[in-house]
Amino acid sequence: MASIRISDLSKIYPGPRPVRALDQVDLDVAEGEFIALLGPSGCGKSTLLNILAGFEPLTEGSVLFDGERIGKAGPDRGVVFQEAALFPWLTVFENVTFGPRVQGVSKNVYDAAAREILALVGLADFAGSYPSQLSGGMRQRVGIARVLVMKPRALLMDEPFGALDAQTRLTMQELLLEVWQRLKVTVVFVTHDIDEAILLADRVCVMSARPARIARQIPIALERPRSIENLLSPEFSAYKADIMHEMRTAHGQGLVAAE
Amino acid sequence: MAQTPKMTSRPASASPLFSIGSVASIFSASSVKKLFVASILPIAIVLIWQFSGNNGSLFGGVLPTPDRVASAWYTWAFGSRGMGLNPYSGTWFDSLVFSTTRVLQGFAVAVIVGIPTGILIGWTRMAAHGIDPTIQLLRPIPITAWLPFSIAVFGISSLGAIFLIALGVFYPVVINTTQGARHVERNLVRAAQMMGASRFDILWRVVVPASLPAIFTGLRIGLGIGWTAVIVAEMIAVKSGLGYVLWDAYYVGRMDVVIADMATIGLMGLISDQLILMVERYALAWRYVNANR
Repeated sequence: MASIRISDLSKIYPGPRPVRALDQVDLDVAEGEFIALLGPSGCGKSTLLNILAGFEPLTEGSVLFDGERIGKAGPDRGVVFQEAALFPWLTVFENVTFGPRVQGVSKNVYDAAAREILALVGLADFAGSYPSQLSGGMRQRVGIARVLVMKPRALLMDEPFGALDAQTRLTMQELLLEVWQRLKVTVVFVTHDIDEAILLADRVCVMSARPARIARQIPIALERPRSIENLLSPEFSAYKADIMHEMRTAHGQGLVAAE
Repeated sequence: MAQTPKMTSRPASASPLFSIGSVASIFSASSVKKLFVASILPIAIVLIWQFSGNNGSLFGGVLPTPDRVASAWYTWAFGSRGMGLNPYSGTWFDSLVFSTTRVLQGFAVAVIVGIPTGILIGWTRMAAHGIDPTIQLLRPIPITAWLPFSIAVFGISSLGAIFLIALGVFYPVVINTTQGARHVERNLVRAAQMMGASRFDILWRVVVPASLPAIFTGLRIGLGIGWTAVIVAEMIAVKSGLGYVLWDAYYVGRMDVVIADMATIGLMGLISDQLILMVERYALAWRYVNANR
């Protein structure tokens, strides 16, 4: 498990009109904590995740991962992409074991681990299927399984359930809660869905678009283990009202600042 | 088995006439019907051709009727070689082997050079800037324009034909491979990096398989060009093979052999295309699985 310390982080895309995608962002994530980055599209939440993953370099500031500067992408930070990004030419089992195989882990070691994790995400019977034979939700289960099999210190999830239908999304949220409850891995979860953020996270970080930074952090004290039943509780509604208000304010400020 | 796989991105023409593992489907009702419908037009053409002929020929003796072509073809294929005085008796198979061998040799050279070159150009900026412009500069020169060059360098020999074929096949192979390697989905590469893949792993386990569909497109186009190139080369730069016979038979007024030769070339082109499709079906099995949804 890992802690993440982001200080004074800025990301500027150069060009004739440079774009400040992130503006002096500060964020601390504790070991085993579940953080949701919530905000409208264009607020830089995916950029922040890409920097954490090591896909994009930062421009200013620093990001410490367990006290060390983050380097290029690697298996210590497992990324779950919105469209799963599975290799279509590999079977489910081959997709899940891709990480261990390129890392040179021996088959006796990864074989059992992969089967166990496939069972955990409910895909034991689909090990030999190709991604094109799976539904969107099942593909995302594979996307999660292939990351878990590497035992990452942190999970970085970029709107992983954003492309799924409402029913499947709820199922996947419950699955993720279950998995996280068991593994207690540090999670940074990007979403634009307020319900999803409150249901899953220990802390919701509301991001504003201009300037692109974290406007407010709201700890979610809902008791764990949680389930979709929590969506109906009065405490949940209170959090939701608070966050909606916050997002409206953050957005409003953005508009004023832009003029 | 009778149901065709659902593959949205696959062009309709890519389905082989006969595919491995679907022997049963050849005999299924829908396939028989398809085959029947497809046969109507060619049979009609041959019949019209046959019955518009007069005394075995059309256009005042220029064009032989199909029955004359068939009998010339039979002699060419199965006739006795005798003293070797009749070049169109019993020599068909030799000519076929000459041409096919050249196509295969040229094709092999083009594939061995073209696929790695295309992957490099598509994947590394250095190769894209360093090699691609030269290929684009040379590509507009038609392979027919290379004929004198090829004869000057290789003389009247098989090597000249192989050179032309390799050149003709190389362009579509390299260009399609480049396209495939250049348009690998970014998140697939990122996913591989995230799972700890080295640069070589990414090339070998992500870029190459992701490029395979485009590579096969290049191979199919290339093989078609290979058959064109071998005929052109044999007409001028070599003294054997189907292309040589084509021109030679024309000179001595054997239009029946010319047409039999043309039919042979067409048949070989069709068979080689079907062979590539079979290999593609095997190599890209993941694209041909029945989708669940």
